[in-house]
Amino acid sequence: MAELQFDTLTFTRGEFNLQLPQLRVIRGEKLAILGENGSGKSTLLQLLTGLLEGEGTIRYDREPLKQISTIERAHIFALLPQQAQVIFPFSVFEVVLFGRFARTDGRQPSDQDHKQTHELLKQLALEPLSERSFNQLSGGEQRRVMLARALNQQASVLFLDEPNASLDVRHSLDIFTQLQQTTQTVISPVHDINLAARFFDRFWLLKNGRLLADVDRAGLTTDLLAETYDVQVSTATDSFTFSR
Amino acid sequence: MKKLLFSLLGVAFIVALFSGATAINPLDMSPVESDILLGLRLPRVLFSAVIGGMLALSGSIYQLTLKNPLADSFTTGTASSAALGAVLGIACGLPTPLVPLLALGTGLCGLFLVYRLSVTAGVINPVTMILSGVVVNIVASAVISFSKFYFEESLSSIVFWLMGGFFIVDWTRLGVCALLLAVSFLLLQRIGLQLNLLAFDEASARTMGVDVARLRRFSFVLATLLVAVAVSHTGIIGFVGLITPHIARSLYGSDMKRNLTASTLLGALLLMLADAGARSIIPGGAELPVGIITALLGGIFFLYLLRTRRERLWHG
Repeated sequence: MAELQFDTLTFTRGEFNLQLPQLRVIRGEKLAILGENGSGKSTLLQLLTGLLEGEGTIRYDREPLKQISTIERAHIFALLPQQAQVIFPFSVFEVVLFGRFARTDGRQPSDQDHKQTHELLKQLALEPLSERSFNQLSGGEQRRVMLARALNQQASVLFLDEPNASLDVRHSLDIFTQLQQTTQTVISPVHDINLAARFFDRFWLLKNGRLLADVDRAGLTTDLLAETYDVQVSTATDSFTFSR
Repeated sequence: MKKLLFSLLGVAFIVALFSGATAINPLDMSPVESDILLGLRLPRVLFSAVIGGMLALSGSIYQLTLKNPLADSFTTGTASSAALGAVLGIACGLPTPLVPLLALGTGLCGLFLVYRLSVTAGVINPVTMILSGVVVNIVASAVISFSKFYFEESLSSIVFWLMGGFFIVDWTRLGVCALLLAVSFLLLQRIGLQLNLLAFDEASARTMGVDVARLRRFSFVLATLLVAVAVSHTGIIGFVGLITPHIARSLYGSDMKRNLTASTLLGALLLMLADAGARSIIPGGAELPVGIITALLGGIFFLYLLRTRRERLWHG
């Protein structure tokens, strides 16, 4: 069943114009959005999460996004934006616990919410940072905490804008492995093509605000990537391969 | 920690009650002295506490919604634009109950102007915000001074408006302000959890389930109403709202529900003591406008914040 779908979707801001054909995402799919800087990846994410409004109806389980209330939206999807930040010295635990806001319908989080937050922190190896002030963490640590915050929302769709930005190779692998195993739908612009190819099962390739291709892993060819990024691509490689 | 705060409040209350030009011995009071104590000082001390709470509460909200550690009713230019409204209202012979409403109107205009000037693509630049606040302050103060010269008769002294003070206190004013403080406090406590999420970037907050625009609008209006009513009664008392939320955060953490409570109590504490100081610093019964004392304290604190947070202010 399609969890997310839209008819043609258009959005214009200044010179930039995004125009996509009808597309749908199936429940549980791991979808990577590939494309060079400025190709419209983040804009697409903002449109799909209702942060920007374009033309064309976006539907979650057949219900138009516009008719879904703010709090219900937070049940359906969570977003990790590229520039996530918190002012004030909140602790890591507090930041991740805030992810439960929609789940508690705006009420004080229960013991269960606290317990679940602790478990999530443990699972993501963030527990040692739990009492630290979020603002004193390194960029990579902050990124992992923000990801934990988004996961704690327990939404059925996860929009993650470059989840491994500023993460080292081990933490990138850990996070992508975790995302691969979840039942949630993951929609994520990714810059590291090798990681994307390994952990995602579907790919939207964007170029200048247009959809170049909508393919599965087998369809992700060197020619297609070369066209997407205007570079030459080969698979015979002398690069390192990492695994856990 | 809470006990400590309440005990300090109690001590400050007693200190403020017995500070002033006339030394009063509580165990041996003449009728005149008891009149001074109960008729003059008691309402005044309570009034300074309530106004302190109002300014601190608004400061806590401004710092959150504007995402700026240097924000309060003074630095955002809200207080001076509200004072401008009050001054014009009085000068034009507006009925007294309507004066704070006009102050609210001009206060919101000032705040909106500062907000619009400092926002680019949904992100508030903290430095631009402070600069815009300074500009609004200068212009509003100039118009207040001009009005004073033009409408000499109907306006109380320029010192009152620009430096603030508790020169006119009665139980009715006290009642109105206390009621407003109580209602605003309860309303803000009710949405305390949502307010926490405003500490996040807008995209995160909105997708976490908060209607950011609506919440921000509501908070702005309520905080500005507190400022407008306070300013209409006491003139501009700056920096109470700047200092107290920081102290509250360092003592009780960043959670907004706790911060709103602690800021309000600390604001009451600070202004009671500042007013007690203003009443007793000059020998011979003359009193200082309390705004001079808070500006002195606030100025030093502002410098301290500027020094310790410079990096983050400039680079987000």
